[in-house]
Amino acid sequence: MSVQILSGLSLSDLNVRFYEFMKNENNAVDAASFIFDSLLEDVTTGFLFEAHHGLKTGLTELIEGEKEDEEPYNIVNSPECDVFGFSMLKKTPFDSNCSCPNCDRPVSATRFAPHLEKCMGMGRNSSRIASRRIASNSREPTSYAGLLSDDEDDADWAGASQPAERRKRRMKNNNSKKPKQMHNGNNKSNNGTNADANDGGATYETMTANEKKNLLLAICGVVSEHTKKLCTRSTRCPQHTEEQRRALRNSVLEPSTPESQTMGLTAEEAGSPPDSSPSSSCSSSSRKRERHRAPRKNKAKKDRNASPNGRD
Amino acid sequence: MTVNNTIAHQRLILTGDRERFKELLRRRLIECGWRDQVRMLCRDAVKETEGNNVTLDTLVTRVTPRARALVPDTVKKELLQKIKTHLLTQKEH
Repeated sequence: MSVQILSGLSLSDLNVRFYEFMKNENNAVDAASFIFDSLLEDVTTGFLFEAHHGLKTGLTELIEGEKEDEEPYNIVNSPECDVFGFSMLKKTPFDSNCSCPNCDRPVSATRFAPHLEKCMGMGRNSSRIASRRIASNSREPTSYAGLLSDDEDDADWAGASQPAERRKRRMKNNNSKKPKQMHNGNNKSNNGTNADANDGGATYETMTANEKKNLLLAICGVVSEHTKKLCTRSTRCPQHTEEQRRALRNSVLEPSTPESQTMGLTAEEAGSPPDSSPSSSCSSSSRKRERHRAPRKNKAKKDRNASPNGRD
Repeated sequence: MTVNNTIAHQRLILTGDRERFKELLRRRLIECGWRDQVRMLCRDAVKETEGNNVTLDTLVTRVTPRARALVPDTVKKELLQKIKTHLLTQKEH
């Protein structure tokens, strides 16, 4: 039913013929059905285009969703199979054996993780060992929280630090015995401060006595157990106790005095009284001055004592 | 008479009223659910063809006759009536 286009017919001609044709009402009915057929064809084709487009691009499937399976699932009820009809015997040997990538042995799936832990050295215990190793390595380098890092490369600095280090080590040996003897009453706090003092020795190692003094005048300076860094807050920082600061200053400042080796006992005595405020380094420096004088007096006395003896 | 019918049709196109009627028919067919029926017919046609390769031509040749038969009488009558009155009122100008 193709729609003919009459060519060569002007609009006025078309109108005239149309009006003539419409004079008969039957003709109108006829034309109406003709037009309706043409319209219906158009509309049908339009819908078919739509449907075809949907089918080809997958739109129809998306809109309608997945088609249900024709066969319903039956629950299998037999002793050798599970509900889906798979045999149970087949399953276990297939799934449960995996081969270890390290040693190529077949391992039961339930034991695979523990096996890997042992075989490859991964897991809790070995990670603990590894972390311990890392910790012991990281203690070696002398980094003290980036403080005074400009001077690290100085030749003078290195030269000055070496004897201090030596002294430090000697003193460490002394110190390690000292606190335990001093406070036997409170073991808990003792252990904490003890560890701090030792760590402090590690980070303070490369500093000279003056440097340490100046530094401890300005900051709290207690060495944290975790980061191995100095606390850079003020001397009244709330995170660390007075006791910790005192212990640190005792262990760090005293050994640097040149007479420390001979003055082991007197240093302990000087550190023990609680009324000597540790936060102010004036007192500690004054203590040192006293110590400086004290041996001279002793020496002088000895000299005096010796001289009369010599004279005698 | 086909020439005269064509003249009437052509005049309808020229005045732009054909589009109006087409839109009306389309709406009516959607309203009465004819479009969904045609869709079902299309689905059946797709299932019948082997190889999942349906061309538009096969769809048209298979579905169109059945779709025509499915058009509700009420819709057809309404449209015919409206077109006829339209044509007759045109005559009087």
